[in-house]
Amino acid sequence: MEIAYYPGCSLQQSSALYDVQSRRIFEELGVRLMEIEDWSCCGATSAGKVDDFLAVALPARNIGIAEDAGFTEMVIPCSACYSRTLVAQQRMADDTRLKEDINEEIGKKVRGNLKISSILESLLPIVTAKDFKPKVKRQFRELKPVCYYGCMLTRFPYTVPVPDRVENPRGMEQVLDALGIKALDWNYKTYCCGASAAVNDNQTSLSLMSRIMKDAVARGANCFVVTCPMCQMNMDAHQNAFCEKNDIEARLPVYFITELLGAAMGIAPEELQLDRHFIDGAQLLKESEKDERKEK
Amino acid sequence: MTAPVHEYIPETTKPFLQEVMERSGQMLTACYQCRRCAAGCTVGDETGCFTPNLLIRTVVLGDRETALNNELVWKCVSCYTCGVRCPNDIQTARITETLKKMAKERHAQPLQPKVAHFHDAFVESSIRWGRVNEMEFMGFYELKNALQEAKVNNYEAIVDELKEQAKLGLAMFKLGRMHFGFQMAKGRKEVKALYKKAKRKRAASSDANA
Repeated sequence: MEIAYYPGCSLQQSSALYDVQSRRIFEELGVRLMEIEDWSCCGATSAGKVDDFLAVALPARNIGIAEDAGFTEMVIPCSACYSRTLVAQQRMADDTRLKEDINEEIGKKVRGNLKISSILESLLPIVTAKDFKPKVKRQFRELKPVCYYGCMLTRFPYTVPVPDRVENPRGMEQVLDALGIKALDWNYKTYCCGASAAVNDNQTSLSLMSRIMKDAVARGANCFVVTCPMCQMNMDAHQNAFCEKNDIEARLPVYFITELLGAAMGIAPEELQLDRHFIDGAQLLKESEKDERKEK
Repeated sequence: MTAPVHEYIPETTKPFLQEVMERSGQMLTACYQCRRCAAGCTVGDETGCFTPNLLIRTVVLGDRETALNNELVWKCVSCYTCGVRCPNDIQTARITETLKKMAKERHAQPLQPKVAHFHDAFVESSIRWGRVNEMEFMGFYELKNALQEAKVNNYEAIVDELKEQAKLGLAMFKLGRMHFGFQMAKGRKEVKALYKKAKRKRAASSDANA
C-alpha cells in the first residue's frame, strides 16, 4: 500500500529522526510513505498570527500537489503541519470563493477529496489488526509511559472533524496496548508545552513544562510518549532547565511513538537514531528488556 | 460630575467590536462571562489574571487600547483550550491572533516584541525559500531582537540572548539535531504569489475600514 507523506520543515531538520523512524516503521508495517513532490512550508502556527489568507493558502498548495498525484490519503506526522493542513482543507470546503482565490495562484489545484491523517489515524487500523501481533518481537513491560498529546492533535482554531476525544484522547494508548505496553493515566495529556514560547517567551514555557513534568513524576511514569516534534523538542531539550528551576530530580526520556513501535518490532536503536535525545532514552529501553529476561 | 468609566462613543466603540468579530470569525457578543475559558487558560497564571473572558469584555466595551496591548494577547500560546470549553463556541485564541495583527497594522509596540519577531521571521523565511530553514530563520529572529534592544542601548540583553541560543545550538549540534543542508521548494514562486495576494487583500480591507 502507498500513501502520500508530508514531512514538513521540522522533520527535515531538528526532528529528522522522526522522519527516519516514520518511514522505517511504515515500511515494516507494509505501507510505503510517498513524499509528495516539491512540498512547501505549511506556515505552522505563525502564519495564522501574521495573515489569515496565508494561513489557508500555504497548506493548500501541498493539498493540491497530493491530489494531483492521485493520492486519496496523506499522513502528516508533525502535529502543527497536520492541524494547519486539516484546517485549511475545511476552510476551503466551507468557502468556495476562498478556494478559487487560492487555486488561481497555484499550478496543482485543490479539489477537496484528500483524506488528511495524523500519524495515529494511519497507524491505528494497522496495529489493531489481527496480523500485527507476530510483528511484535520485543516486550517492554517495565516501561511506564504517559502519553502526551499536546494541543494540536485534538484542538483546532476552526471546526473540523476531530478523530479522537478532545479532552481525553486514547489513540496513543491504543497503539501502546498493541505493543503490550500499559500507559499510565494522568491529567496533563492535552496540556500545552508553550510550543514556540520556548524560544520567544522562555520563562512562560518553562513554567508550563514543569507542570506537565510534575504530574508525570507524581503518577510514577518513567517516560513520555509523543507524536508532536515540537512537544518532543521542548520537553527533551529544556528538561534540565525546567527541572533544575523547580527542584525536580527525575529525568524522563521523551520518545516519539514511532521509536517505541520500531523498537518493539525489533528495529535496531541505531537505525531509529535513538541516540539523538537530550535525555537518554536508550538505557531505559535496554533496562526494561533486561528485567524481562531476568523474569524468564 | 464624574465621567462614566465607559462612555459610549458610537464612532469608535461599534466599529472596533465589528472589526474584531469579522476578522476573527467569533461571535463575541454571545459571551455571558461564565469564565470556563479563564479556568482552563494555560497561561492564566502568567497573564496577571487578564483571562480570555476579560479580553472579550474589553473588546465588547470598545476599549481598543487595552485590547491591543495586554499580557494575554502577547502571552497566549494558541493552545485553543478556551475555545473547546466555551459553551458559546467562542475561540478566544482566534481573537488574540486577530488583535496581534491589528496591533501590528497600527505599528503599536507589542508588549512582548520577541513574540512578534518570532512569527514574522518564521513566515518571512517560509515565503523566501518555500520552506523554513531553522538556522536562517533563527538568525533573522535574533537580528530583529538585537535591533530592538540596540535602540535602547540594552547590549547586555543581546549578549545574554545570544549566549542562551548558542548553548542550545551547541547541545543540538552534538546530538546531530542541527541541519546544515539548505531547504527550498522549487515552487516558491507560487508561494510568493500567494503572499502577494495576501498583501493585496490586506491593503483592500484596510482601505475599506479606513
